[in-house]
Amino acid sequence: MYALSKRLTDAFSRRFARAVRETYREDEAYASTPLGRLALYAFLLLLLLLPLLLGPYPMYVATLVAIGALSALGLHLLVGGAGQISLGHAAFMGVGAYTASHLTGPLAPLGVLLGGGIAASLGLLLGLPSLRIKGVYLAIATLAFQFLADYAFKTWEAVTGGIRGRTLPPPEVLGLVLDTPERLWYLVLLFALPLFFYGKRLLMTRAGRAFRAVRDNDLSARVAGVDLTRAKLLAFALSAFYAGVAGGLLAQLYKAVTPEYFPLSVSIQYLAMVIVGGAGTVLGAVLGAFFVLLIPEVLNGFVGALGPEYAAQLAAWRNVAFGLLILAFLVLEPLGLVGLWGRVRDYFRTWPLPY
Amino acid sequence: MILEVQNLHLSFKGVKALAGVGFSVAEGEFFAVIGPNGAGKTTLLNVLSGVYEPEKGEVVFLGESLRGKSPQARARMGLGRTFQGLEIFRGMSVLENVKLGAELALPGYPMALPRAEREWRLRAWAEEVLDYLHLSPFRHAPAGMLPYGLQKRVEVARALAGRPKLLLLDEPMAGLALEEKQDLARFLLDAREEWGVTLLWVEHDLRAVLELSDRVLVLSYGEVLYYGPPEGVKKDPKVVEAYLGQG
Repeated sequence: MYALSKRLTDAFSRRFARAVRETYREDEAYASTPLGRLALYAFLLLLLLLPLLLGPYPMYVATLVAIGALSALGLHLLVGGAGQISLGHAAFMGVGAYTASHLTGPLAPLGVLLGGGIAASLGLLLGLPSLRIKGVYLAIATLAFQFLADYAFKTWEAVTGGIRGRTLPPPEVLGLVLDTPERLWYLVLLFALPLFFYGKRLLMTRAGRAFRAVRDNDLSARVAGVDLTRAKLLAFALSAFYAGVAGGLLAQLYKAVTPEYFPLSVSIQYLAMVIVGGAGTVLGAVLGAFFVLLIPEVLNGFVGALGPEYAAQLAAWRNVAFGLLILAFLVLEPLGLVGLWGRVRDYFRTWPLPY
Repeated sequence: MILEVQNLHLSFKGVKALAGVGFSVAEGEFFAVIGPNGAGKTTLLNVLSGVYEPEKGEVVFLGESLRGKSPQARARMGLGRTFQGLEIFRGMSVLENVKLGAELALPGYPMALPRAEREWRLRAWAEEVLDYLHLSPFRHAPAGMLPYGLQKRVEVARALAGRPKLLLLDEPMAGLALEEKQDLARFLLDAREEWGVTLLWVEHDLRAVLELSDRVLVLSYGEVLYYGPPEGVKKDPKVVEAYLGQG
């Protein structure tokens, strides 16, 4: 009896609960072990059912975080992946958002996609200086792009509506009006899921290796056969594409676009997400976005508890919190939340042994 | 001849780094370049791999002139290179380093295959190289975290994984312990035997050079002092004066 039950549980754990990779082939794939696959399917199911589980306000926050994570993933490819820097990420989101504001209603999905495309071509352009300059100088060049875009958003009235911005009717898909965050969630998933899988794959294969090679050692990368020009431009274009799509989706959520949504401070907020999330990984993008976008919500709660007279200082406190957070992560955990998660995982993997 | 170098000239702000260097390397040869510091050895490798463009002269690799070809184009032609000091990808795992190198070895990284299959073929070949250089246990370790000797070996693995026809090695033995030097020498000789790699190495360890190399080129101030079999190096009066010193 004991032998039988042991055989059954063994068979079960081999088939479904195995979390250790046993072959090179499994090592190559993502979610390759049975337990990994199970977790992935469960997570996808949770995402699909989320609107049934959460109320309107949490759903609004969830949509915001999903869009933020998508945009942050773009910056991860560029900063964590290829080791380039961009202070103009918000500008690309703006480009996507304004593009989407011109193709609304039934055309909304097309508008979001086109926003990504236009942002990507601008990203290609912004990638050009990266072929010549690095580090701080590149940061300044992307900063210039951010200010130029800011200026264009405010003054090019025919396209952007100037300071007042533009409003968007809710998107329609197959005759269904997506006017609530619960419904919009599915449009976000439609774009985010494929882009997340694509990003994950990209980082695991040839292009991702080329990116990291450029990041670690560009001289050696060239001699090892990596096309630097191609890798850098691809990183900038992809990063801008992700930002553009995210910007277009954000415009649907806010139902409006104004220049105030995409200033320099938002670019910096996204850099913070990359640093806090850590290490140029897909998981890092999600965790970073979660953390950084939820801080204002948590602070909101605090301020609400303290009383209305503190509300005016909320923005200032938020910036202080960001600053401390970035410092803390840079000093204490350069690998970010991903690094923390890795340690927790390793602890349980080897539990109850210490090593 | 796999590599023919004719009359190379290159100077930096008036300092002549290379002044009329010419030599040739036969297929399957173990060819050494030695010389005192500042002799132009690393400059020579940089010209060969395309990091610098020479002012005058010609480099012919596999019967084709390399003039104007970028480093990555030369790498794809089968010209591998390792660096003095450590120029590996420190943030990538050992396996990723080797896979990146391996992309040069698989004909065209066959784009027609599904991505997973392509990765799988790269992995299989990369594992072979790792096994060969005794690096398999460290495959998932971040390359930058390994001890110095292993990092050097990772760099050799990355270069060998690309199946170069000619591998340029810049002081591969610098800073290694005797035992590590012996291991590396064995790996290199085996690679030549098994994969037909021609080796051109710049090295300071004179004993290793004289023992292992088929022919030696001695440079000093950008000029060729000696070019011939290793036995003659110690007998040549010019080399003794410029490099070895009177004993």
